[in-house]
Amino acid sequence: MLGRLLGGRMLQYVMLIVVILVLNFMLPRAMPGTPLAFLAGEDVGLMTTEQREEVMAQHGLDRPLPHQFARYMGNLLQGDFGYSFQQRRPITDILMERLPWTLLLAGANLVLTTIIGVLVGAVAAWRRGGRADAGLLATFVFMAAMPSFWIGMILVAVFAAQLGWFPVYGAYSTYAGLTGWERIVDIGRHLVLPLTSLVFISVSSVFFTMRYSMLSVLREDYISMARAKGVPERLVKYRHAMRNALLPVLTIFMLNLGFIFSGAVVIETVFAYPGIGRLLFQAVLTRDYPVLQATFLLITMTVIIANIVADLLYPLFDPRVRVR
Amino acid sequence: MPKENSRVAEYWELLRANRIAVVGLGLLVFFALLAIVAPFIVPFDPDELVGAPFQRPSSVHLLGTNDVGQDIFSELLVGARVSLLIGLLAAMVSIGVGCVVGLVAGYFGGRIDSALMRLVDMVLVIPFLPLMILLAAYLGPSFWNLILVIGLLTWAQPARIIRSQVLSIKTRGFVEAGRAIGTPVAVILRQHVLPGVIPLALSQFVIAASQSILIEASLSFLGLGDPVTKSWGTILFYAQARGAFLTDAWLWWVVPPGLLITLVVAGFAFSGLALEEVADPKLRSR
Repeated sequence: MLGRLLGGRMLQYVMLIVVILVLNFMLPRAMPGTPLAFLAGEDVGLMTTEQREEVMAQHGLDRPLPHQFARYMGNLLQGDFGYSFQQRRPITDILMERLPWTLLLAGANLVLTTIIGVLVGAVAAWRRGGRADAGLLATFVFMAAMPSFWIGMILVAVFAAQLGWFPVYGAYSTYAGLTGWERIVDIGRHLVLPLTSLVFISVSSVFFTMRYSMLSVLREDYISMARAKGVPERLVKYRHAMRNALLPVLTIFMLNLGFIFSGAVVIETVFAYPGIGRLLFQAVLTRDYPVLQATFLLITMTVIIANIVADLLYPLFDPRVRVR
Repeated sequence: MPKENSRVAEYWELLRANRIAVVGLGLLVFFALLAIVAPFIVPFDPDELVGAPFQRPSSVHLLGTNDVGQDIFSELLVGARVSLLIGLLAAMVSIGVGCVVGLVAGYFGGRIDSALMRLVDMVLVIPFLPLMILLAAYLGPSFWNLILVIGLLTWAQPARIIRSQVLSIKTRGFVEAGRAIGTPVAVILRQHVLPGVIPLALSQFVIAASQSILIEASLSFLGLGDPVTKSWGTILFYAQARGAFLTDAWLWWVVPPGLLITLVVAGFAFSGLALEEVADPKLRSR
């Protein structure tokens, strides 16, 4: 039964991957005008018709669409994301350079967000209806209502420009030539403000999920049963309620991978943090379409993989799914 | 229809008793009024160069001037229109699609349902900001492109919620009875299913509006907004591009637009939460 269930889900993901690939392939080709401007960055206006045809042939754009698609897929499967005509080097190299920074920022955010959201969400649920619950609820709604880039700008204005506690932008001091421990401290100092803004905007989704899930668990019979048996309240909270309430958090944790990447786009832009998100933004600014596409593909694939992993992990944590 | 009236009265009582709702609706009324009267009360035309650039706040320019000498206070007032309008229209697209998909999937069930829900699952997985950036970059920034892109990528969650509501309405006696005596599907949907869905759809609409305003702000901040009409996100885009947050100007150029976005989004979110509680008795605390 589980196999069939997963089979259906997997088929769905495969379909999604195909849709994304086809979208990526078709977008530059479906735009009005020649796809040359999108795919090769050539200044079409300055070229003669023969020159244009020659470049088209070079890029295989004179072939029928199925041929072009096969070529596109072939390149992708070999890890070749194409060539950035703005930076004049292979996109794969650029991505590899950017990836560690986004992983550092998004990874740290994921850990902090989950811990804070789970703990505060559980507290709010235990005090449902009380002052603390209402206060926390209002606070988190406001936090979720703030534009992420604005939080970033305010943090920079206060803690970097006015107080000078942290660097204004970047992920490390470029020309300081720091090594060893000093370099780690330097990277840490650069991380504080972007990480804070990112946690600020993404923590509320975990909080709301945990609070809601905790509320529904607390209404279950086995909680009343445990209390009736005289199990100490602390134990009821931590062992019975919290463990079971964590399940939806696992789902949101995996889903957050995707939203955190997209949240990081804006934050990385504010802080000129050299990650994947800023690459996406730079590609938009310079109309570097191949880079735009590759970045989008990378982000989407990461999200899909995160979802697949979540689906595979779920039965390990929830025996009810396993039995079914 | 006395029954309908008493239901409306009951909703209204619940809303009034709910402090979150009062705050949320209060904020929304304030911003709606602001958006309506903005063109009549602005001290300057926000598109005209009315003073020296980078001025500090003064009695003439309450929030100073921007990098080209436009009055920031006037920009903010008129920006309320743009942000609200884009938010509401995008939410209409989102909820319109969500309602149709949710109703069809929930009511007809079977293959149609599972196909539509597959689609919903797929849309939910796609990280929407990168996709929006990709689409906005290709389609070019414009008012209607923004609305369509936001609306067409955010309908999945409301569709799912409305579908589950339809499923629960369907099992109630009167729908079954209607079907048994051969009432046409359109009539059942309009008379029995839709009234049960509307409160939920309304709360989803309000939540979608809050998300749309936030997304519009992000896209505009990334330079993908409508270049003709200036929203609050666009103002922040220029503030960022000119490094306003590195000088004292952050106080009057960066803080106010962000604060307004936060208040409007929170107003919608609070109203949505309250409406959700009204629409779904399970969520009521007492």
